[in-house]
Amino acid sequence: MKIFKVDKQDWVAGVEKLFTAYRLVGPVNEGQFHNFKKLNKGELPDFNFLNTRLSAKSLVHSQTEAMFEYSLDENKENHHIMVDVKKDYSSQAVIGIRPCDAKAFLLVKRNFDTSQYRDPYWIRAYESLTLVGLACHNPCSSCFCTTSGCGPFHEEGLDVLLVDTDDYYLAKILTDKGKNFLIASGWDTETDADGGDQKIEIMKKAAEEKITVLINTDKLKAKETIALYDAEFWEEVAFSCINCGTCTYVCPTCWCFDIQDETRGKSGIRMRNWDSCMFPLFTLHGSGHNPRGKKVQRVRQRFMHKLKYYVEKYDNGIQCVGCGRCVNLCPVNIDIRRVCELMNAYDPQLECPA
Amino acid sequence: MIDYSEKIKEISKRLLEEGRVDIVIGFKKGTVPMMNEPCLVKSSGEVEKFVWDSNCGINLANYLTGRNEKTGIVAKGCDSRNIVTHIIENKIKREQLYIIGVPCKGMIDKHRVAAMFDGEIKVVDEKDAKIIIKGENFEKTLDKESILQSNCSICIHRNPVLNDELVADPVEEQRDVDRYEDVRKIETMKPQEKWQYFEDMLKPCIRCYACRNACPLCYCPTCFVDEHRPQWVGKSQDPTDLRTFHFLRAYHCAGRCTDCGACERACPVGIPVRQFTKKLEKDCLELFNWEAGMSLDVRPPLDTFRPDDPDDFIK
Amino acid sequence: MEHMGIESGRLQFSWVSSAESTKFVDVVKEVTEAIKALGPNYSFAKTQAKVA
Repeated sequence: MKIFKVDKQDWVAGVEKLFTAYRLVGPVNEGQFHNFKKLNKGELPDFNFLNTRLSAKSLVHSQTEAMFEYSLDENKENHHIMVDVKKDYSSQAVIGIRPCDAKAFLLVKRNFDTSQYRDPYWIRAYESLTLVGLACHNPCSSCFCTTSGCGPFHEEGLDVLLVDTDDYYLAKILTDKGKNFLIASGWDTETDADGGDQKIEIMKKAAEEKITVLINTDKLKAKETIALYDAEFWEEVAFSCINCGTCTYVCPTCWCFDIQDETRGKSGIRMRNWDSCMFPLFTLHGSGHNPRGKKVQRVRQRFMHKLKYYVEKYDNGIQCVGCGRCVNLCPVNIDIRRVCELMNAYDPQLECPA
Repeated sequence: MIDYSEKIKEISKRLLEEGRVDIVIGFKKGTVPMMNEPCLVKSSGEVEKFVWDSNCGINLANYLTGRNEKTGIVAKGCDSRNIVTHIIENKIKREQLYIIGVPCKGMIDKHRVAAMFDGEIKVVDEKDAKIIIKGENFEKTLDKESILQSNCSICIHRNPVLNDELVADPVEEQRDVDRYEDVRKIETMKPQEKWQYFEDMLKPCIRCYACRNACPLCYCPTCFVDEHRPQWVGKSQDPTDLRTFHFLRAYHCAGRCTDCGACERACPVGIPVRQFTKKLEKDCLELFNWEAGMSLDVRPPLDTFRPDDPDDFIK
Repeated sequence: MEHMGIESGRLQFSWVSSAESTKFVDVVKEVTEAIKALGPNYSFAKTQAKVA
């Protein structure tokens, strides 16, 4: 893999050049925090952040997304027919995405891009992206990426890994898309691959060592699903939950949505909106029956999905990249790390002595 | 304030052992700085969990809805006013409750503190009226007064209005507080400016409903935004629908809101949602001389008719 | 309503008995005139949902 050296004085000019090849997206300071936003010419991604408040998932799965439009006006051609909404799927480069958010796309892809079903909106948007990751030198104390299949310098899912060495950036090319990105930017000072790689390795180690919170997930797969489902700790875990959607909406791997039609006069659209398993409405049947009518059932669902069902279904780790957003933003401090420990350590025999 | 913890443990232990209550609702130490988690304790052996410091901003009255056990509950001033509201609205019976009152000197504003520092805040300690904030490359000691939640800094009912036992002597109430400076500022704006002010304020909203769900007043079995037959509000991020949610939610709190600040504290994107409810609170005070949750014996203004109710708005 | 930016006068209240037909007519006239003078309302009026 090639590693390029990007002098910071060449940064602005490079980003400027990239506008001709891509729509650019990057972290932008929104006052109290950073979020991903479309960059306009002359704007630079702002790297002075730990992580963005919201994950990057809205780049491929916006909170509200139009799918079809329709007309009920019989004088119009195509009336009463759902027509695809035109969208811009031209190349988009995301500069400054954290490795955890990039990895999260891969976890979601397992569900949105299968041999049976392919979600056209998600896939087209995802494929339009070139992900230029920014390595994390200062992981937060709520980060636990190293034990959830990810890491502060994790490369999976990225096209380029950008490492800030203070004096300059090292750009490690990981895919062809990444190569094209570098070409478009004009940053072409190749460094001695070994030297660069070594430097990155050292910084990676240092960053990984800063992550002190480790979670154990090794026993989740072997646990009996029903036993875990019936575990007594759910009542205690769920007590403080207020059933808002914060955890699911800030999560880079939560993918659920709800489809709605809205008609105004004779024209309308069909759209999809993020939905959350924390909301009672999420599972409410047309009959009025709600299989997850109680808070404890909904809280259990979220954790069981991420840490048990997903693990079983895909046999490829948990549905979490350890970004820590839900830990930090939960209004009542429900901590997935603690719940994961409870689940991983759960032994039904210990819980109910005969 | 830290020594409140010991007192809370002691009282809870006694109540549980004597069988006065079946459960006690309080706070346990959080896993991240400036956060504590509401928790429920069922036996005297568990009371060691309980903690009290300046990070107990969530309103515990929220956890009373639908409970039928004999319940002990730790309550600061605003919590106690919401408990009164719960009793008045027949959500819980006074006899069921044993209120462990906490005279409160305010909670720290985690949003504001986090925004004050560039790096991550790793530890937040408190000693007397000082808050010590530590990160990787910084340490700073601040006066607690200066980093209070904005609702706490203008609070005039810090002591529980209803309690069975206090954990400490009442604290001195703040006097001569101008509670509505911000509301008056909005009142002087032109309609278009007002509209824009709230439009900008709501921009970051992700409609997670944390503000609604953290609120002890929001206990409806099905919220109007969740109704779908008929569906009152669209479910997308359309600005009109977002505004409808916030605006109507505030309306449902008219004459009931105690300005506990749980909504603002809960918001993951830092929206000052109290700007909606505070106007209604101010109106209730000015028009009906009413403050919510102050007494079990007076019915709320929207619940009663008096011949001298203001009616100038009716032509 | 006014507090969040709807012009005063767009929302009006009146108490009209079923026996007060003249008052009813007057009120309707007054209100329509006042609203027409304000012009169309663009705030808090939803057209097609604005979505991505």
